[in-house]
Amino acid sequence: MNRFKLIDAGRILLLVVAVAAVALPLLWVALASFKTPADLNQPGILWFTPTMANWTEVLSSDIFAAVGRSVLVATITVAIAVVVGSMGAYSIARFSTGGSLSRFGILAAQVLPPAVLVFPFLSVAYMLRLNGTLVPIIFSHLSFVVPVVTWFLIGFFAAVPKEIEEQARVDGFGRFDTFRLVVLPQVLPGIGAAAIFGFTLSWNDMFYGLILSPSNSTILPVAIAGFNTFRGVELGPMSVAILIAIIPVVIASFFVQKRLVQGISGGAVKG
Amino acid sequence: MKFQNAMMAPLLSVMAVAVGFPLLYSFWLGFTSYQLVSGGVTDFVGLDNYIRVLSDPDYWASLSATATYVFLSVTFELIIGLTIALALQSQKWFTNFTRSFLLAPMFITPIAVGLMFRFFLNDQLGAIPYYLDQVGLSYDFFGSGRALISLAFIDVWQWTPFMVLLLLAGLESIPKQPVEAARVDGANRFYIFRRVTLPMLSPILIVAVLLRGLDALKVFEYVYATTRGGPGIETKTIQYLTYQNGISYFRLAEASAMAFILLIIVMGVIVLLFRRLERVNVR
Repeated sequence: MNRFKLIDAGRILLLVVAVAAVALPLLWVALASFKTPADLNQPGILWFTPTMANWTEVLSSDIFAAVGRSVLVATITVAIAVVVGSMGAYSIARFSTGGSLSRFGILAAQVLPPAVLVFPFLSVAYMLRLNGTLVPIIFSHLSFVVPVVTWFLIGFFAAVPKEIEEQARVDGFGRFDTFRLVVLPQVLPGIGAAAIFGFTLSWNDMFYGLILSPSNSTILPVAIAGFNTFRGVELGPMSVAILIAIIPVVIASFFVQKRLVQGISGGAVKG
Repeated sequence: MKFQNAMMAPLLSVMAVAVGFPLLYSFWLGFTSYQLVSGGVTDFVGLDNYIRVLSDPDYWASLSATATYVFLSVTFELIIGLTIALALQSQKWFTNFTRSFLLAPMFITPIAVGLMFRFFLNDQLGAIPYYLDQVGLSYDFFGSGRALISLAFIDVWQWTPFMVLLLLAGLESIPKQPVEAARVDGANRFYIFRRVTLPMLSPILIVAVLLRGLDALKVFEYVYATTRGGPGIETKTIQYLTYQNGISYFRLAEASAMAFILLIIVMGVIVLLFRRLERVNVR
């Protein structure tokens, strides 16, 4: 029996190491956000007098304008994605509309390299004089959030038993009412998870934002990168900005993890 | 219009505007001499851009750097991810906490992860080089021959959770009977894992590897945050090279050609992935 105890001990040790590997860089950034520039130059220092200077500096800067723009972009993108995505996913899951071509197209669209799509967005934005607005960013985010959300929802719609739909039809519901009043409530948890997942994807994107957003009014990930490039290295304030970007999505992630697998695999694996 | 098509129509319209049109436009750009600063003057130049890109040694260097990056990161993510998934599967205490916590990195903004590690590994400001120095070791994480490995390591930190997520779900959906039967027959743990668990896990394993590979191909933020392609052009990945050509040098046409060559590679992988997924679905 000793051998099995050894395996268990190894297993626990492995998990402790894994948790530490995830936690340490994050803790280090959290500590750095309370350090003065002098303390930051001594990376080994653990006992230091915490300063709120970095936090007050960042919180009084225009970072919340960038946060607001990121929230706006993500909300509009996700709202459109959930509406068209749930209708399309229902159609694909229930009637296999378009055969396997639909599924293939949606899968292909969500893994398309952004470098392929970004330049058309840029040059059309210039042509329509929309450069300097958030419109091109919203369109670019639609290009990956819509297929991901649709893909995510197919599996959830496929899992709804046909019988309740047939019963609703017998009870005199129209086709669209059946979808809206009978099927949608069944997949509400899936839609919630898809919406949160889509929101984090949009919130986290930097590539499109970097190229398409106006330099003076950018979205959060680009603003974070700005702490590194334009004003030299401002490690303290940057740590604060990193934490501001991380905390909301990590909290949101706890709500979607259970349904994530089913969504990512398009219903192929039940979570 | 039939109901099922009416339900598809909004999705198709959005996809046509946000994906279809830019895709075609980009394909067309690749055959022109379009430059952002030339005010939209475009001449059709045929395959010139493609020929220039394909005969550019920097492009090939970039392809090979990207391939190395994808191979390194996905391999380590698979090995570490599978090990952690197996450990989590038989865990009894703190299961919810450990799982949620270990999955957290995959939700973090990649640029934040990149910048975090840029300074965590920085040879003057970073904690890791500091402690290495304390024990008498000196290692420059972003030096020549090492930068690409460090970038892959950042990818491993952020995306191993994705592997854990999918593989753990795969492990938990495996039926119990074959494993029990093998155990009754006296097979040891290792044998059961190799001959029973692994074959049943392989469909989801392959899907996870392909999805990760496709995503790793698009690496940009880590490069932007840490090395900016250096030292030399060692870490200039495809997405970064394309970005530089299009944005810093305004050569949109050439950049579009570059992106399309990458797209052809990606399409090949997608076909493979799709066949796999169909098969998983049928089972």
